[in-house]
Amino acid sequence: MTNKYYEFFCPVKVIAGKAALEHIPYELSGLGAQRPMIITDKGVRAAGLLEPVVAACEESDLEIVCIYDDVPPDSSTGVVRDIAKVYRSEKCDSIIAVGGGSAIDTAKAVNILVSEGGDDISEYAGAGVLKRALKPFFVVPTTAGTGSEVTAVAVIADTEKSVKLPFTSSFLLPNAAIIDPRMTLTLPPHITAATAMDAMTHATEAFTCMAKNPLSDAYATAAVKKISSSLLSVMDNPKDADGRLELAQASTMAGIAFSNSMVGLVHALGHATGAICHLPHGLCMSLYLPYVLEYNLESIRAPLSDLLLYLEGPEAYAATPANRRAEASIAAIRRLRDALYKHCKLPRTLKETGKVDESQLDAIAALALDDGSIMFNPREASLEDAQAILRKAWA
Amino acid sequence: MLARRMQPMAFQARRLYVELMFQVMGNALQAISEIDSTVREEAKSLPEGFLFEMMVMPNGAKLIIEHLGEGRFRYHRGQAPRPVDLSIKFKHIAHAFLVLSFQEKTSVAFANDRMLVDGDISYAIRMTRVLNRLEAFILPRLIAERAIKEYPKNLHLPEKVLNAARIYLKVATQFVETVVA
Ligand SMILES: NC(=O)c1ccc[n+]([C@@H]2O[C@H](COP(=O)([O-])OP(=O)(O)OC[C@H]3O[C@@H](n4cnc5c(N)ncnc54)[C@H](O)[C@@H]3O)[C@@H](O)[C@H]2O)c1
Ligand SMILES: [Fe+2]
Repeated sequence: MTNKYYEFFCPVKVIAGKAALEHIPYELSGLGAQRPMIITDKGVRAAGLLEPVVAACEESDLEIVCIYDDVPPDSSTGVVRDIAKVYRSEKCDSIIAVGGGSAIDTAKAVNILVSEGGDDISEYAGAGVLKRALKPFFVVPTTAGTGSEVTAVAVIADTEKSVKLPFTSSFLLPNAAIIDPRMTLTLPPHITAATAMDAMTHATEAFTCMAKNPLSDAYATAAVKKISSSLLSVMDNPKDADGRLELAQASTMAGIAFSNSMVGLVHALGHATGAICHLPHGLCMSLYLPYVLEYNLESIRAPLSDLLLYLEGPEAYAATPANRRAEASIAAIRRLRDALYKHCKLPRTLKETGKVDESQLDAIAALALDDGSIMFNPREASLEDAQAILRKAWA
Repeated sequence: MLARRMQPMAFQARRLYVELMFQVMGNALQAISEIDSTVREEAKSLPEGFLFEMMVMPNGAKLIIEHLGEGRFRYHRGQAPRPVDLSIKFKHIAHAFLVLSFQEKTSVAFANDRMLVDGDISYAIRMTRVLNRLEAFILPRLIAERAIKEYPKNLHLPEKVLNAARIYLKVATQFVETVVA
């Protein structure tokens, strides 16, 4: 008998499709919430994405009590404290996050403070600290990438100690994720591409790393298929609402997959690169994905071969000899990156970003070895291995 | 406590085995940190006086190791002198047994949700790498390959250091044979 064992958990209600936003008032009232606060950022507000949310609520006589729109890209303990202060002084009773991973992670942390009390979010850092449900919490993702709406994690920077604090608890999960195609129509090409590659990486790592399991596999493969078949058509036609919805759903599915089976070395390197060079997370994923797959190749040949079916479709899969499918999967991901480079100059190498100096590679490698994601990578990466991958990704 | 009355031998053997393995690992970890530069390099960035614990929930056997600085470890028998900084907790003795009898890799056990980390995850990752290297040292190669992700290329330890650990281990493996059979 095999020793295989796994756990799978996703209690988030998913509300997806046309006029999904209009379900928010009903869902809030079902939890007895009447005074929601919206947490978002300036970019999302400027894109006009709050109007449909607010209108949907007001039409049902649900008043949005206040809107905090100043979430920065790397949210910090100070920002969380400020938002919690506003929440309390306005006597809010629930939170709606509208935005990408940055706004969502911030809102998760705010929910800890306003539910558990206190001003210092760092007291709640770590795993398993929370013991009970938090305030009603809804997430409206506006990027199709992080899958944060279905993950039990938030990362917040402690700017005084200059460390990143991780928060892990199933109580961070929202009561519902509202996926409305209107919310991603305005995503600029560069962010569309980078965040979609984040989702692609979530699915690919979930499917090839050590904690893969049959349930997360189902979500991962479905996500890969949706991204492969919709991303380039959305790049050609950004107003394609059906394609946008496909990407948004894929992102949520990839989020469900990786929150149950974890990610690997692409994320370890990506987190380190984000911390040192301040590149967007999705871009880092796109930079490293093919190189890490090549590094892991002999340990992941079987699942990577299977992935070809979802990346390229049944004809290409059938036409490729079984012993070449894993390599063909990597080639397909490279072609996708080349196409994205053509569309919006999404960099394919560290050098192409223009924001990384070759002298930083060793520091990135060292930091990556301390990242939690490295644990689930199928190969035991040493410092030298990480350095070698970075050199390949350099140019 | 019904099960314990029904299969007293098997339960006791498993518990004894886990306790014994923790002792083997504790002693070996201390010895290896004095000799192996790779382990020391890995351990160096842990704070001085850092206390690491591996334990079986809720109140079972424990392995407690202190980082003395410069990558050297000391094995503490019995209780920790102060609250530990990092604890890796097996959710059940059965899971500890799977890992400590080398039927399941430490990283797989993490992946399979068999244990929890209480403390800084980056330290947990360092300690997992140290434990992997320890297993590569003290286990016969065939078993080590099953227990860790990749067999390291640079294992050069004086035989006599290993002998002590291997003698313990022999006793331990006899337990495995009794219990697994
Ligand atoms: N909790 C998790 O599981 C998890 C997983 C991965 C990443 N993250 C975090 O998520 C963050 C990255 O999130 P992200 O990639 O979604 O980006 P983001 O939230 O940082 O947003 C990127 C930019 O896009 C703008 N934007 C967002 N939606 C828009 C829209 N529809 N139209 C126009 N502009 C829009 C924003 O204003 C912002 O300027 C990182 O901080 C990362 O740490 C969290
Ligand atoms: Fe990611």
